[in-house]
Amino acid sequence: MNLQYSGEETIPASVETVWAFVTDPEKVGRCLPDVVDVVAQDAAHVEAVVKVGVGPVRGKFKVKVELLPAPSKRRIDMKISGGGFGSAVDLTAGADLVESGSDTTLLKWSGQAEARGPIAAVGGRVLDSEAKKLIAKAFGNVRKQLTTT
Amino acid sequence: MTIQTKPLHSVGVGMKRKEDPRFIQGKGHYVDDLTFPGMLYLSLVRSPYPHAEIKNIDISEAMKVPGVKAVITGKDLEAAGLGWLPTFHGFDKQMVLAIGKVLFQYQEVAAVFAETRAAAVDGAELVQVDYAPLPVVADPFTSKADKVLLRPDRESKTNHIFHWEVGDKDGTARALASSAKRIKQRIWFQRCHPAPLEPCGCVAYFDTMGRLQFHVTSQAPHVYRTALALVTGIPEDKIHVISPDLGGGFGNKVPVYPGYVCAIVGALKIGRPVKWIETRTENLTSTGFARDYHMDVEIGAAADGRVTALRVATTADHGAFDAAADPSKYPAGIFGIVTGSYSFPVAHAEVDAYFTNKAPGGIAYRCSFRVTEASYAIERGMDILADELGMDAVELRKKNFIRKDQFPYPSALGFTYDSGDYHRTLDKALDTIGYPALLAEQVQKRARGELMGIGFSTFTEVVGAGPSKHFDILGIKMFDSAEIRIHPTGAGIVRTGTKSQGQGHETTWAQIVAEELGLDAQTIMVEEGDTDTAPYGLGTYASRSTPVAGAAIVMAARRVREKARKIAAHLLEVGEGDVEWIDYKFQVKGVPSKTVTMKEVAFAAYTNMAQTEPGLEATYYYDPPNMTYPNGAYVAVVDVDRDTGETKVRRFVAVDDCGTVINPMIVEGQIHGGLTEGFAMAFIQEIQYDAEGNNLNTNFTDYLVPTSLETPHWETANTVTPSNHHPMGAKGVGESPNVGSPAAFVNAVIDALSPLGVRHIDMPLTRDKVWRAIRDAEAKKQ
Repeated sequence: MNLQYSGEETIPASVETVWAFVTDPEKVGRCLPDVVDVVAQDAAHVEAVVKVGVGPVRGKFKVKVELLPAPSKRRIDMKISGGGFGSAVDLTAGADLVESGSDTTLLKWSGQAEARGPIAAVGGRVLDSEAKKLIAKAFGNVRKQLTTT
Repeated sequence: MTIQTKPLHSVGVGMKRKEDPRFIQGKGHYVDDLTFPGMLYLSLVRSPYPHAEIKNIDISEAMKVPGVKAVITGKDLEAAGLGWLPTFHGFDKQMVLAIGKVLFQYQEVAAVFAETRAAAVDGAELVQVDYAPLPVVADPFTSKADKVLLRPDRESKTNHIFHWEVGDKDGTARALASSAKRIKQRIWFQRCHPAPLEPCGCVAYFDTMGRLQFHVTSQAPHVYRTALALVTGIPEDKIHVISPDLGGGFGNKVPVYPGYVCAIVGALKIGRPVKWIETRTENLTSTGFARDYHMDVEIGAAADGRVTALRVATTADHGAFDAAADPSKYPAGIFGIVTGSYSFPVAHAEVDAYFTNKAPGGIAYRCSFRVTEASYAIERGMDILADELGMDAVELRKKNFIRKDQFPYPSALGFTYDSGDYHRTLDKALDTIGYPALLAEQVQKRARGELMGIGFSTFTEVVGAGPSKHFDILGIKMFDSAEIRIHPTGAGIVRTGTKSQGQGHETTWAQIVAEELGLDAQTIMVEEGDTDTAPYGLGTYASRSTPVAGAAIVMAARRVREKARKIAAHLLEVGEGDVEWIDYKFQVKGVPSKTVTMKEVAFAAYTNMAQTEPGLEATYYYDPPNMTYPNGAYVAVVDVDRDTGETKVRRFVAVDDCGTVINPMIVEGQIHGGLTEGFAMAFIQEIQYDAEGNNLNTNFTDYLVPTSLETPHWETANTVTPSNHHPMGAKGVGESPNVGSPAAFVNAVIDALSPLGVRHIDMPLTRDKVWRAIRDAEAKKQ
């Protein structure tokens, strides 16, 4: 099933600070909800293990994240693919960094997810709201990390 | 309903089922009831992707789970020469475990063997498979374009599997072109699933003699034995297939599935028994589905309604492998029965089948190979024609029925219908339902804007495959067999090559033997499903048990009787020619006082047989000379709620003609079950795939099975027109209600909606679909 989401986060930090954060694979990996383990592969790739639970389907997903920063330094796209316990999720997400006053950045994000297998079938009725919550939480984590540092 | 009061005169008696005390007390013996010392459990890793390349399979995490003994993949099987298994249609093969790529969602990718079922499942969840998704082909019309080649392993580089046709193509085109009236409608029989209550499963082990002991949910144990011998190279005498009690089959348990092969390989590799029982989701997503036929139906007629020609062109979705389990000369099954009960002077039918990224199948779900599809097409088509002509659906049918005096009737598509009296059967249905009163009520309701519909289905099916010159599976002719052995006390045992899945063979077969030999049906034991003891037969599906094995039982019993006659002559102290079989006894011709019973003869066969060979038994392999043609007239009465689209089936009358009835209670039970399945297909059941190839109906909350609360009240009756070639005149009935009823339900709903101008809706007629049709029709009118 194909799911689409969008939202925005206001971050109390300069565009440059936010840019440095969202292009750091290790830091991005840590923002994945319920992340258990993060291993950066290189400057653009990270592998992570996350706990996933949708309805009665629960387990660990191994996910691969690829960062695709735009030369303008104002947009970051990412491909996230992963799977486990016979299920698979392919996610593409992108965010525009918009300067919004001094030391404030608006992160306007959107994403779409493709879920397959038991997680889509058995968790089908709750998957949409659950996935939305997870993506929002991931970008929320970006804001939290940048607010506390 | 009369219950048998006398042991003799067994046929035609509604004897209580001998197997039921076992079943209703929870004492049935199913595959999953088996446990053996050291038994391992198998769980299969399945693909979440409908079409993807397999980059890598990492089993290391799975092997760390306590209790996991082994994990095998497609590569391992390929190395052992067991990567692929032939499908029962015979012209294709199927991956046991995915090799190189996966072709449908939930396809088998790896097999995990563990000490407990839980450990096997845990291990399967930890097998890491790297997939690279490929473009998905989710319907046969996209497949037809060949933009994505699904099966590069095949010689022919196309997604097109086969083209099959029958009939007079040019003659049909000419007749259609010159017909006063013509209708054309695309009718889709949706993908559905037999969903037997007991899913598929097996236990495999090699005994101390090195023999494969294979307990499996199979409708055709002998065919499994031969297929396993051919695939594995194990000599056939070293394979023992046992099919114990089955919790339903409906065609789903005919094919050989990858799980079976994996269990056998595991048992061989690890040297311990292996059990594999699939889950409900596995059953619905990977084992044989049914239908998925897109049928373009065209009928031509004269202005008075007499039909002139029929043309049906079908696009079939076979999924990832051609695993339809059809007789080898019939890739589209017996779809040629599509001319139904009507006297078409000319007809043409063709089927083109395509691969898609969906589960393989196209099995005969409680029908004799694509007969349900054919019956639905013609019965819907006749109603659409009646609508076009402005004629009553009953009048149109009666005008075009094959008449009683035309039997045996050669159909335009090559069948010879054995017998029937369609007018009488329909009249009985009309009388039972009270047709004139219903029509009057409908007029009143329509005047008030209420939606009431009356739907008919006057179907003819073709069952009992089949004559050896036409029918075989993997080359094995579709005969069946019976072996009867009468013990000294007059009790006995009958074994056949068929396998009951709930049809009541333990009772019906005993009644046939009792009838033919004048013995007590209660003391005739029936044994099936054990390839070591049962004579070779092709199994139970396609309503073939009574038409083929039932006939074999009759013929074997008559052989027993001939042997018994010799002994009777000795006992009666007359020549054999002076003994006749009258009123279930041997009697000296013209001397009613000098008789001997079969029971007495049986005792003598072991104690006082004189010059005759001792013992009293016989075997018969029956090659049917023709198929049988059960038929029926079904009437559904429905009320459709204009505001919600909800359909209420108010009445349903089923008049069946299955020839001679052996046990009317069992026949009635069969009809109740089949009608309930037909009701489910008509209103609620569909295996749906989205455009990305995701299966959306993977469990019983998404694939609904009607309970007693939803199921309408069935009213049944029958007419008897014996088959002209079956030794008892029986035709088989198991499938008639499933074949005949979907059209009656749909015709009734469309009749209800016809004042709005609705002509067709594809099944299932869910309330939202019906509601949309009402809304769209009303919008068009404004």
